[in-house]
Amino acid sequence: MKIFITGIGGISAAGRNITEHLESFQLMKRNAGTVSLFDTSLSYPVFEVKSPLINKQINKQKNEMRTLSLAMFALKEALHDAGLQKNLSGIKTGVCFGTSVASQLNDIDFYRTYRNTGAADMASVDRFLKGNLAEAVAKSIKANGPSVTVVNACSSGADAIGVALSWLRNGVCDIAIAGGADELNRIPLCGFGALGILSKSLCRPFDKDRSGLNLGEGAGVLILETEKSASLRGKKSALLLAGYGAAGDAYHLTAPRPDGSGLESALRKSFADANITPQDVCFVNAHGTATHDNDKVEGIVLEKVFGSEIKFLSTKGYTGHTLGAAGGLEAAFTASALRECWIPASAGFVQQDDDIPIKPITEQTQINGSFAVSTSLAFGGNNASIVIARVLDHLKIGHDLVKEWGS
Amino acid sequence: MNIAGIGIVSARGRGINSLDIALREGWIAPSQIKPRNDQNAFYPAYIVGKETINDINLLKKIRRADRFSKMAVLAAWDAVVDSGIQINDKESTIGIILATAFGPHVTTFRFLDDIIDYGDGSVSPTTFSHSVHNAATSYISKVLNCRGPTLTLTQFTSPIHQALILAQAWLEEERCKYVLTGCVDECGNVMDYICNQKLRIADDGKIRPFNFSASPSAVPGEGSVFFMTTLEKCRNKYCVIIPAPMTNCDTIKKSDIYIIEADGMAGDETSYQDTLPVDVPIGGYAPIFGSIKIISAFHCAAGALMIKKQIKYVCPVQENPYDLNIITKTELSKIEQICCIRKNCANETNIIRLMR
Repeated sequence: MKIFITGIGGISAAGRNITEHLESFQLMKRNAGTVSLFDTSLSYPVFEVKSPLINKQINKQKNEMRTLSLAMFALKEALHDAGLQKNLSGIKTGVCFGTSVASQLNDIDFYRTYRNTGAADMASVDRFLKGNLAEAVAKSIKANGPSVTVVNACSSGADAIGVALSWLRNGVCDIAIAGGADELNRIPLCGFGALGILSKSLCRPFDKDRSGLNLGEGAGVLILETEKSASLRGKKSALLLAGYGAAGDAYHLTAPRPDGSGLESALRKSFADANITPQDVCFVNAHGTATHDNDKVEGIVLEKVFGSEIKFLSTKGYTGHTLGAAGGLEAAFTASALRECWIPASAGFVQQDDDIPIKPITEQTQINGSFAVSTSLAFGGNNASIVIARVLDHLKIGHDLVKEWGS
Repeated sequence: MNIAGIGIVSARGRGINSLDIALREGWIAPSQIKPRNDQNAFYPAYIVGKETINDINLLKKIRRADRFSKMAVLAAWDAVVDSGIQINDKESTIGIILATAFGPHVTTFRFLDDIIDYGDGSVSPTTFSHSVHNAATSYISKVLNCRGPTLTLTQFTSPIHQALILAQAWLEEERCKYVLTGCVDECGNVMDYICNQKLRIADDGKIRPFNFSASPSAVPGEGSVFFMTTLEKCRNKYCVIIPAPMTNCDTIKKSDIYIIEADGMAGDETSYQDTLPVDVPIGGYAPIFGSIKIISAFHCAAGALMIKKQIKYVCPVQENPYDLNIITKTELSKIEQICCIRKNCANETNIIRLMR
């Protein structure tokens, strides 16, 4: 069964929509700065969504979690791109979002008050109880299918897209809204700082002198649709979600398995799922956090699986690490790059690491292929790989539209 | 799909035998919990005892794990052992799906303690890494050496339902041969306080599943349940489990037993009245486990055991103002099919069917 990507939306420090992101990528704009959303004694650079226009809209719903606002912002773009209304009650629609911050009741003011007095105002609890990301999104668009919030840490967005793929293939829904969203928050800033993996300067994925990640925030959304659903409403799309693979490291809570076998397994499963070989892939949008361990393991595995000539990049140099949103945003970027036939330079990379046998692309590069891969790795040893396809002849929406892979 | 094994950790103990014993024994009073800053008050709650999760042999591999993760690991482990399936997962044949409503919030609040007490730059990285929702799943995969797909999901309305739908899809797609599908949630000081603010807590510690009240009484609970699910034939099969999509209509097929999942946690329970026929035996076992967003998993475990043993278990609290045909004694019974019904305050119905 072919699953079409009929809408794409994204918001991050690099842009308010996909077009702005592509402009930022072309100009190699890196909109990092200091934290303004909350008070902290930590001075790491972050990628915050700072546009006054956006924040006005995001903050309009005072009783809404910021993560949900970011998700709704990206969703609006994706629905428009897909030609869908905001009310989907007439269509069997599933909603699957990944997040990390929005899943936790972590309001420090609430907790401090409770701790000091044994009682606290319930406003932040109410906001949390109404803010389960997928359920809240589903409610807002009157989606009547399944709704699941994936909390697989940094691979949440990619895994959410994988869940949606399974739903669609199994007839659980006809349209799935999938992706990830996360806000910049004091808790992960403190936590990642304590783990010693935040960089004091702009991040440098895969570079020899990389010194850690920069946190970011945002949301990335795909509208996924069965061929029948797209065909029935006359929606044409050249993009497909062709495959997904996931594998656990079964190794460590925070460190990737050194031999990278979990990631390799996830990649190979996604190829099998899409019925392609590594040679069919024209580029990889890597997880590339700019931490020492992640980039080393990922670089070694990419070379092993794809060979030394594979074109790859990390977009985290433009967005920061948006945690639960990353897989959604990077899937959106991967799909957009396939559609536009170019990939941006991997921002921050200067010098190849002796321990990594391949290096990312350093300038905007034309691509001419049908398949691209987006990888995600996470705390807990989650590894995910998504295969996105571009069909050349997408004008003939109908039963014989999609040529079988490899034919 | 088939349930090939069950693991359970609850206030009534660990393992499928503890469930059988609890269902036969019926209701017992919950623990009384002291709130953080009020030594004179007590909250009733069904708490998993320290001795229940004190398995040194198994947990020595994950010494740093918090209580949330330990409950999950033990239930998952027991589900595998109960299934009799030998784990040799070099081929990634086992997937893991864990559902939770609130995640490891006790650890999250411990991390907030760090921030408040020591400042942003002096927090514990270990506490932080355990406050992430998927820490429990990571530990399960490590202890069992499961290298298949692992997914943690959070949902407030029907978490285990969603997990089972996905497990079925993974099996149909042949992403794995087995899916360890389960859930975990925990009690804690802050959550107990929140429950006391948001719910009507039963002063006498009794949940009344058949009162169908607009403001039902609740007693917070905690625990973990895991099912080894598969499409394969299995030696220790309990039953077939079918999670139906959520529906607004009451098209519930006739079963040999209905299990009502009213536990005081989902608000107004009056709509259950319209669902139930008078001639079918009805069970409701929330008073054993407590009020918990993942109560459906406990009820599915109870239902699966009923089908396997061909026993219907007595309802632990038998207040029955609507004169329903509730089960009043534990006895052998021919059971082909059980329907577990959970309604939320929007009158949406989640159904899980269990079939012999």
